[in-house]
Amino acid sequence: MTSRKRFLTLLAGFCLALVPAAQVQQASSKPELRIGAIPDQNPEKLNRLYSLVANELSQQLGVKVTYVPVTDYTAAVSAFRTGSLDLVWFGGLTGVQASLQKPGAQMLAQRDVDAQFYSVFIANTRGGLKPIQNQKGLVALKNKRFTFGSESSTSGRLMPQYFLRQAGVNLDDFAGGAPGFSGSHDATIALVQSGAYNAGAVNEQVWKSSLRSGKANRAKVVQIWRTPSFPDYLWLGQPNLNQRFGKGFSTKLQKAILSWRSSDPEQKQILNLFGAQQFTTVNPAEYKKIEQVGRQIGKIR
Amino acid sequence: MRPAAPLWVLLPALVLLPLLALLPGISHGGGWELVGEFAAAALQPSLEPLVVGSVLGGLGVTAGIALLGWAASLALGLVLGIASSRVVWHTCCGNAAPASWIRRLLALPRSIHELLWGLLLLQLVGLQPVVAVVAIAIPFGALVARVVSDLLDALPTANLEALRCGGVAGPAALVTALGPPLLPQVISYSGYRLECALRSATMLGVFGLGGLGTELRLTLQSLAFRELWTGLWLLLAVMLLLEALVGWLRRRWAMPARLGLHRRGVGRQGREILVASLVLLPSLGLVAWQLGIEPAGLLRWQGLPPLGPADWGAVLALPWASLAGSTLLLTLLAAALAVGLAPLMLLVAQPCRPLLALVQGLWALGRLWPPPLTALLLLFVLQPGLVTGALALGFHNLGILGRLLLEAAETSGAPQQQALLAAGAGPRLALLYGRFSSLARPYLAYGAYRSDVILRESVVVGLVGATGLGSQLLESLSSFAGDELLALVLVYAALTLLGEDLSDRARLWLLETPHGDGPPQEAGGAWR
Repeated sequence: MTSRKRFLTLLAGFCLALVPAAQVQQASSKPELRIGAIPDQNPEKLNRLYSLVANELSQQLGVKVTYVPVTDYTAAVSAFRTGSLDLVWFGGLTGVQASLQKPGAQMLAQRDVDAQFYSVFIANTRGGLKPIQNQKGLVALKNKRFTFGSESSTSGRLMPQYFLRQAGVNLDDFAGGAPGFSGSHDATIALVQSGAYNAGAVNEQVWKSSLRSGKANRAKVVQIWRTPSFPDYLWLGQPNLNQRFGKGFSTKLQKAILSWRSSDPEQKQILNLFGAQQFTTVNPAEYKKIEQVGRQIGKIR
Repeated sequence: MRPAAPLWVLLPALVLLPLLALLPGISHGGGWELVGEFAAAALQPSLEPLVVGSVLGGLGVTAGIALLGWAASLALGLVLGIASSRVVWHTCCGNAAPASWIRRLLALPRSIHELLWGLLLLQLVGLQPVVAVVAIAIPFGALVARVVSDLLDALPTANLEALRCGGVAGPAALVTALGPPLLPQVISYSGYRLECALRSATMLGVFGLGGLGTELRLTLQSLAFRELWTGLWLLLAVMLLLEALVGWLRRRWAMPARLGLHRRGVGRQGREILVASLVLLPSLGLVAWQLGIEPAGLLRWQGLPPLGPADWGAVLALPWASLAGSTLLLTLLAAALAVGLAPLMLLVAQPCRPLLALVQGLWALGRLWPPPLTALLLLFVLQPGLVTGALALGFHNLGILGRLLLEAAETSGAPQQQALLAAGAGPRLALLYGRFSSLARPYLAYGAYRSDVILRESVVVGLVGATGLGSQLLESLSSFAGDELLALVLVYAALTLLGEDLSDRARLWLLETPHGDGPPQEAGGAWR
């Protein structure tokens, strides 16, 4: 054997030795609770702070919990349908889309604010839009540059579009023949404030917190109308949680979420992250209204 | 009548005139403050351990996806490329017809952007890292296949025929005669594909398929500019490193020895290439293991969501003409911007070193930023719509074209430029008539190819609104409207195939050399 051949043989042997090493890791099969969330507000923080939620749940339930980041509302729904996520923080519309696509999905909890949630229409102060007294006043938005949040957002798109339609404003009535879709509530506020759009629709909770934090500048962007209330966000769990994690697991999971209080320092951080005092149970019937509106607007087929 | 060759490269830049005329109309200037904050944040990226850690993690995922997608696409591309080569079929079976059938079949996976593949696969197999890898591997593999078969069919066949006449069996003759001349070209091309794969992996992240792109989009949407720059700087470092490494390897392995004096170099190269590929294989396994890639996961099909009955009437009622029209207009604008601006900027900056460095820096940023992010940034100061989308796409492709132009300019036309300079021509004229005159045709030919890439890419700026098919596609996706999606993807594929055909014709027309001034350059093919 020449030295070159020996060298090559050694190298090949080395490579082959490494190949099986790469195959072993999938062996362990302890079930793992994968949680996710739609990225609607401060999503980059969600990404980092969700480890808190994972830790808390893991402690309370005694199973491994991992957070799977998802940047896109649609991807979150698909991931839930395909079983890649076990427990997801959905918006109203995405929650309904997901539970229709995955029959038996369990609406586990919502925040105290979610049963009666509001959207606000905001406008750039230089665009000449004045606060609107009643819903009919929304016609003032015709021929303005207008943006929603994400295509699948309940408070940033679905309900605002529904109220606009009731007032006789269709999507092709906006300047440019179509509305924009900024992707998130924070982006809507920033874009309206910058003047990229004359007006937009956002989740009231995000709007208020932006005002408090100073991200929204009252001199540049103001609220012009607040919508009637509708149900929004919820925790949705897979139908098969009990089979996978043991009898009674979904009840345990629900109780764990409902038990979070701001007296506990870590749970307080989580509640702050969600902007909630505490979580409560869900009345699934309330989301029928979201489903109806979704069908009218064409977001649910 | 054709204008003088060097001036051709500047023709597309004429698109600047209407654009400059339009810009005041669509700018609203409301967000200059935000743009200022964004620029200022470049100097003070966030160094918080939490941020840096999550950016590094994201970068690792992106790089891993790029590497695996690239390797898979090369393997796929080589096999399919050989299978769709006329020479191979002709030598082995005496009939070249199957080659062109396979070639036509491969046009379909190639015509669909990797983002669409990713989103479609996500529907079928769920959210797992392997989705992004396969999304890159499918269209890239089909593209590599086409390039490999083009390269194979363009190789001189004298050696092959000689071996065949000597009675050598088909496969052996093919390997012996065509293998050695093919290898350096494939190596050089595959280096370029790796850079493309890194950009694509970042882009897939922007749409939620994992990695650094995810971080970039989220931080931008929350206006956390300092955190955004942490990601951008790190990505820039990785991209420039990769480009330098690929360039270095290409020069070391693929450049034909100029004077034939370094004969020993051939053996060394061969051994190095072998060692590198042997090291690459286990490291791919390692990366796959780190990312938790599970090829078997691809087989766990979930079935499509329960779809409502298809409503073809509503699908037909979509404004197809205007959707396709604005997509095409967007493509033309962006392509003209990118193709025309690169030589123009080089000319303007040529005499002044710092200015040249600035231009190169700008191009690097253009390559680096995924177009949807640029589009979101532009929305701070421009109104949404077609022009904004075109600017974002144009900026990205300008970065890619500019770098290729600069690279090509370094290796050709130097004597002519020196001669002109010595004869007293100004530095700009010498560059234009010296270097660019030999580059003009291959550069424009590449530009023609690039414009069909841009057509495919137009889907990614859909989020600035009113950009045609791209915007409609994102909307249909979020409604889970299978019928509309199917129709949109088909129309997209048809448009891309049409565009590809047109750009092929343009390229052939550009590369034909009526005056016999030198052999047709490879640039158009090898840069794909």
